[in-house]
Amino acid sequence: MSTIPPTDRPDRPDGTDRNDRTDGTDEHSDLVLTPRDVRFDWDRVPVHWVPGEPTATHVINVLHMLLPEGERWFVRVFQQAVPLITDEELRERVLGFTGQEAMHAEAHQGVLDHFVAKGIDIGPYIAQVEYLFNHLLGDKEGLSPQREREYLIERVAIIAGIEHFTAFLGDWILNAKALDRAGADEIMLDLLRWHGAEEVEHRSVAYDLLRHLDPGYLRRARTMVVSITALLQLWVRGTRFLLAVDPELAGSVEPSVRTAWTAARRGLLPNPVKLGISALRYFSRNYHPSQEGSTRQAIAYLGASPAARAAAH
Amino acid sequence: MSRPQPPRLVPPPDLYGRPRPDRYLQALDWLASKYVPLFTGKDRYGTRPRPPETHPQELTVVSREPVADDVVSLRLATGDRRLLPRWQPGAHLDLILPSGRRRQYSLCGDPADRYAYRIAVRLLPDGQGGSAEVHRELTAGSTVGIRGPRNAFPFAGDRKVLLLAGGIGLTPVLPMAREAAWRGLDWHLVHTGRSRASLPFAGEVARLAARHPGRVTVLTDDEHGMPSATDLLARAGEGTAVYCCGPVPMLDAVQAAFARSEAKALHFERFSAAPIVDGKPFTLRLRDGRELLVPADRTALEVLRADDPGTPYSCQQGFCGVCKLRVLSGTVDHRDRKLSAQQRADGEMLVCVSRAAEGECLELDV
Ligand code: FES
Ligand SMILES: [Fe+2]
Ligand SMILES: [Fe+2]
Repeated sequence: MSTIPPTDRPDRPDGTDRNDRTDGTDEHSDLVLTPRDVRFDWDRVPVHWVPGEPTATHVINVLHMLLPEGERWFVRVFQQAVPLITDEELRERVLGFTGQEAMHAEAHQGVLDHFVAKGIDIGPYIAQVEYLFNHLLGDKEGLSPQREREYLIERVAIIAGIEHFTAFLGDWILNAKALDRAGADEIMLDLLRWHGAEEVEHRSVAYDLLRHLDPGYLRRARTMVVSITALLQLWVRGTRFLLAVDPELAGSVEPSVRTAWTAARRGLLPNPVKLGISALRYFSRNYHPSQEGSTRQAIAYLGASPAARAAAH
Repeated sequence: MSRPQPPRLVPPPDLYGRPRPDRYLQALDWLASKYVPLFTGKDRYGTRPRPPETHPQELTVVSREPVADDVVSLRLATGDRRLLPRWQPGAHLDLILPSGRRRQYSLCGDPADRYAYRIAVRLLPDGQGGSAEVHRELTAGSTVGIRGPRNAFPFAGDRKVLLLAGGIGLTPVLPMAREAAWRGLDWHLVHTGRSRASLPFAGEVARLAARHPGRVTVLTDDEHGMPSATDLLARAGEGTAVYCCGPVPMLDAVQAAFARSEAKALHFERFSAAPIVDGKPFTLRLRDGRELLVPADRTALEVLRADDPGTPYSCQQGFCGVCKLRVLSGTVDHRDRKLSAQQRADGEMLVCVSRAAEGECLELDV
């Protein structure tokens, strides 16, 4: 029983100790997740917030159409899953996650409303997104309690797959210096980076919840295939749709894989090859989201983000 | 969560106005009708193995010493001196005191010490009794329930850091200073307080200062006068990340002065529940007819959670909307920052902050 103060040794000569964590990194795994009460003022943000890059802008703008309904669906599914959780700490992280996703949904809704006010008729696409998340992926009538529970876990698994991509995109946007160089709008960048940083911050929650409810490999692999296919299709359709209905463009920009590819090469969009490789990692038996992205970088950005800083404590 | 919609059974029309339901969604509809029966048949929920409990739930006070006026520091370890879970600067431990009160204290020891945690507790004369209970009950050899450690004030290890600590606010910041020194960062620590005698761990801070000349500043009101937030932030050069922990007026002042400084980032410990201002007791009636009393010093959410741990919530400050419930009867005293007038008129309520008048009964749709 020591009464000697344990600390204040010379600057950690045993510093190596820091690197023998079981996961081989010094990532924070014990973060308290809570939503941040951010606000954005969209009035002066242009629809084409990466100047002169309509394709890149609209590829990213698809997010604003998908996320409000999509993340509200995350929240509904996770709320239903909370009573199934038997681990107090995981429950707290899941609850923190729901608040963060609820704030993301509202923030992107703000952009969407702004775009509608600017005269983009996105109604048809939104109707489809609502149908997707409220009906297709919504609760089903007439399932037995056991099937109902399994269907809930299946949806948690789909969300875990999507969260792999949101963490990938979060990590990408935090490092996308090319967008700053291209003169992208600062408020929009702050929204995307605040959101991206929180995605990195909470990237393990959905996966840990899935492992808690069903540790099996099959469900994880199957739902990843579902997530990839659905996301890819939604994205392509969304981009084509925005390019078609944007009154500022009046149909002058043809959707083109090539244009998107060059934008990605210049760093204005995520690199599709890296995205593909990242998706493959999810199928590894040793996968854990904590190995993707950097929590430290996310934390550093959340301290610097004008919106998150204004919302602090 | 926010707008429950009746399921629409026909896929919406084609994106470009062709007069037919959208084929993509029709195909997805068909797929879903096959997929759901196929992959929900096997019950996998009950079959999973439970992971063994790794985090200790109770620790023993192995030593206790005064470290300033009204401040004691405690070292906590497991009864059989087992390895404890790792933590990083900024982490805190939840103590579950003998009375059932739950209080959070920052870990202020060395993260490399894997066998004991150290916390420091200042006796607050006007607090709700948690600190008094620690000072009175947690003598050497006693045991205390714990949860965690968890981190609500993570340190990102930025290249340039300014650490601002007010009084007992030094506790999370001290391990940050050590980590900054260990990582070779460009760091500076400022510790403020009323008087020398009121500053906890003055000896450790002095040793840190001796080893890192010019990196530690101690400012006491009686010797140097009360420093303004602008003075404190003046030590932050361009691109500096500021980590600040101290009394609320200090946090507010630093946040207000931050925009005028050269610093790049500002980090606080993030608190969850907002304090209850002028609360009165009222009742909740649930769908099953039971009535739950909400005392003046607790929120409706806390009472609902005690009844059902699966109750959804998140921010506990009335802005995220996750805790929203429908009120069937009774008048709500809305205290949130989120619901629109329409939503309130529709009977929605955020139970984490909103309350009712004394003796009122709110009938909830749960
Ligand atoms: S918990 Fe966020 S509004 Fe109540
Ligand atoms: Fe999100
Ligand atoms: Fe997310």
